[in-house]
Amino acid sequence: MLTSIERVLFILMALALGGLAGAGFYGIYRIVRSGRSAPPRQNVLSNLIRAAIDVLLQKPMFRSRPVLSTFHAFIFFGFSFYFLVNVTDVLEGFIPGFELVYGGQNSSISLPAGLVNLFNLTADILSVLTLLGMIVFLVRRFLAHDRRLKFNDGVLLNPKVAKGWIGYDSLIVGVFILLHVGSRFLGQALRLAEYGQSDPFMPFASLTANLFTGLSEGGFTAAIHTTWWLALGLILLFLPYFVRSKHIHLMIAPINIGLGKQTPRGELDPATPPAAHTNGDEPADDEDPGARVLQDLSWPRMLDAYACIMCNRCNDVCPAHSQGLVLSPAAVEVNKRYLINEDFTALAFKGDRIDKPLTDVISPEAVWACTTCYACVRVCPVGNEPMADIVDIRRRMIIEGDELDSGIQTALESLAKNGNWFGKGSRGRSRWTKGLEFKVKDVTKEEAEYLWFVGDTASFDARVTPITQTVARVLKRAGVDFGILGRLERNSGNDVRRVGEEGLFEQLAEDNAAALGKGQFQKIVTTDPHSLNALRNEYGPFVESQWPVLHYTNLLLDLFQSGKLNVTHPLSHYRVTYHDPCYLGRYNGEFSAPRQLLELMGVELTEMPRNCENSYCCGAGGGQIWLGSTPAGERPAENRIREALATLAPPSNGDGNVIEPDDGQLLFVVTCPKDVIMYTDAVKTTGNEGKIEVRDMIQLVEEAIGGAMPEPEPETQSGGEA
Amino acid sequence: MNIVVAIKHVPSTADELEINDEGVNLDFDEVDFTINEFDEQAIEQAVLVKEASGGEVTVIGVDVIEELDGVLHTALAKGADKAAKIVGDLEPPIDSHTQARWLADAIGGLTPDLVLTGVQAVDDLDGQIGPMLAAYLDLPYVGVVTGLSVSDGTATVHKEYAGGVMAEFEVNLPAVVGVQAAEKPPRYAPISKIRQMAKSADLEEYEADENVGDSGCEIRKMAKPVSAGHAEMLEGDAEEVAEKIIEILEERGLL
Repeated sequence: MLTSIERVLFILMALALGGLAGAGFYGIYRIVRSGRSAPPRQNVLSNLIRAAIDVLLQKPMFRSRPVLSTFHAFIFFGFSFYFLVNVTDVLEGFIPGFELVYGGQNSSISLPAGLVNLFNLTADILSVLTLLGMIVFLVRRFLAHDRRLKFNDGVLLNPKVAKGWIGYDSLIVGVFILLHVGSRFLGQALRLAEYGQSDPFMPFASLTANLFTGLSEGGFTAAIHTTWWLALGLILLFLPYFVRSKHIHLMIAPINIGLGKQTPRGELDPATPPAAHTNGDEPADDEDPGARVLQDLSWPRMLDAYACIMCNRCNDVCPAHSQGLVLSPAAVEVNKRYLINEDFTALAFKGDRIDKPLTDVISPEAVWACTTCYACVRVCPVGNEPMADIVDIRRRMIIEGDELDSGIQTALESLAKNGNWFGKGSRGRSRWTKGLEFKVKDVTKEEAEYLWFVGDTASFDARVTPITQTVARVLKRAGVDFGILGRLERNSGNDVRRVGEEGLFEQLAEDNAAALGKGQFQKIVTTDPHSLNALRNEYGPFVESQWPVLHYTNLLLDLFQSGKLNVTHPLSHYRVTYHDPCYLGRYNGEFSAPRQLLELMGVELTEMPRNCENSYCCGAGGGQIWLGSTPAGERPAENRIREALATLAPPSNGDGNVIEPDDGQLLFVVTCPKDVIMYTDAVKTTGNEGKIEVRDMIQLVEEAIGGAMPEPEPETQSGGEA
Repeated sequence: MNIVVAIKHVPSTADELEINDEGVNLDFDEVDFTINEFDEQAIEQAVLVKEASGGEVTVIGVDVIEELDGVLHTALAKGADKAAKIVGDLEPPIDSHTQARWLADAIGGLTPDLVLTGVQAVDDLDGQIGPMLAAYLDLPYVGVVTGLSVSDGTATVHKEYAGGVMAEFEVNLPAVVGVQAAEKPPRYAPISKIRQMAKSADLEEYEADENVGDSGCEIRKMAKPVSAGHAEMLEGDAEEVAEKIIEILEERGLL
């Protein structure tokens, strides 16, 4: 089909532009490799294959925004199939007489008609779907001005991003796809029009062919050549731009997912790169913990920047961004990308380092707004971990003595001094047991089956200690053999580590490990998801043997199922919703025990729209509960209480929540000591006292078993034996 | 510029304090010790002066219960250059007169240009360490200071008086200054730095001279405050509560 000059031109263009793009890809490889080392990736090939399958099924996309994800799937399937289409198109251009219309019956090379028809049908449909998807995206961005593509006021943005370069980039990519796919589609329609008959396996092209029936022979030739060049020449022209554009996500995303974090979600990467450890735990002198400049980040964080397509799904689920604060996980990735691209050549080919501080990527204020709830990482369709950047930045700020929020500093100082953030002496840690009718074992002195790791909030906070006592009574009644570490227990260090105080985390973990080592027990149980996370996922380097770490909801479920606890007073008079704590649910995958418990006790559970993996953070994690100041805006916990009320008592006529007295009491059930505080407070500040009540799971259990202590009902006395 | 900070290790009030069986002091087996909070301010102020005008900061204290190392390592992690402790066969309580004597003996040998210390300490609340150091070292003293800068052999210090009146003093160096508050809140010392100091830092030791006299004061009795009465909670709605308040105020002749 192509003339000789066209062929030479195409080959020269392919060589030159392909070479340029290849150099660009190599540059990206070099830049990514210039990041610090990360924990080594195992089974790389199988993980890449698994990632490819997930991407082919578009699974990561459908974690949120189902409608837009469907249109994305159109473009994705279209574009993927177009790799094949482009190859056949090149063959059409270079092999005289080779063509695929009408099942390839007119082709100079004999082709299997069935296969060609299937190919034509797929290409025809996908072309239209791709164009449709692309038009929807362009309309959404440039006409509908979807708010989700914007950042909050005050979010630090690279100057180019602030000037709207994401928009330009999107427009270029969008127009390219429209021209590339549209021209190919028109090219096939023109061929059909030239033959003058429709192809049942190319329904849309046949329909479109009607537009061209009047064209002269020369007109057809010119038009077919033009559309061929617009489809294939354009892709060559686009290749070098591709490296710099957001569209490169289509190559990097599957790689990023395949090379993603392999350790548990709840285990942060080490503060100093693994390679810098000379003898296992002593970092080499030249490697400071955490990150100050771009290339202090590990290579997966560099790769993240290239995987990001700037869809802002992370902003949707970020409690800080939703509150209107200046933190945007998306902006972290976008800014990194623009920062790298500013010095692309120097970084890629001269081996330069970017000494620009990461304060060009994220403002200190935003760094301290993160609750480390993991929602951004979980929702990201391309496997990015902006939260990891933030923790690394905090780590370096702490070690280099940057100014700290006064509340966080006070908490850390108390933790260093007393082992808890309440400013109380360690002797006070087991004071809550004084209100009990029985003595709680000290596992460092007596053997017990379960070590109950109580945690700071449940030990010290006057709003929570009555609940802690109820847990003790219920366990006692069920005959559970448990004990505590008493004054030897320290804060688990979970949030300390996420604040970036790695040294203090290590100190706390070592102290706890020493205490645990003295204890005689088989399993650890805790009501605190934060402690659970640290003990389960981050104590490996500190303890000699790893104990099973259970959440109390698992233990309670077990006690019901084995008949050690029985529901004597079903709770059908409650209508409840359940809040998944981040560090229990999203981090540790514990979703079912609390729900099974609620079902067992006979309450009517209605799920909030954001539940399980997609649960919404209460706003306390990652050190936020220690902050000395309260930022403006609707706090995450307040937002959540409104969500709960809208779920349990939907507004009937638009003027507030109407609750019928007969419907039963509305409860917001929590399974985390911090949640008790956060949500009890939020119910008050949103003026919803009397409408909905916050209850810890143990309070429901206590009621369902007819009281926590053995006395009240004679027939249950045997349950009180301990 | 040689800056010395004299600090005190005092009982921590994080936990409930217990009185000993004799009822004349704390039960020191049942209390944790911590750095006096005003001394933390003095260390911060010393490091700020060093950062502004150069020099070297030495932190020194009496190791009353043989647990002062952590405090000194923390001071080093915050920017002090040297740390020293006064050791001996010591047991709490050691009154501030004795501590001041020992500190003065050690500090005298350090030829300081500036001695900073907390204006008072929670243990005896007598505010004597600073003035006595000045007396023993024969140096001028300014107390209750909330800011300090140094140039050409003089220190400019700020004091805050009641009613928000501010005063600025010039004092010839060397001098002793009792710090109420540093110009900035004390900085955070990352634990890994403290641990690094614990591994690498050498703490100088001075032997306590057991033959110095005490303060001449004796504690006759120490007891926890007895609650003298209870708050009366006014029940009822806003109107009723307001009425009761007015009633009470009138009853006492305040309205």
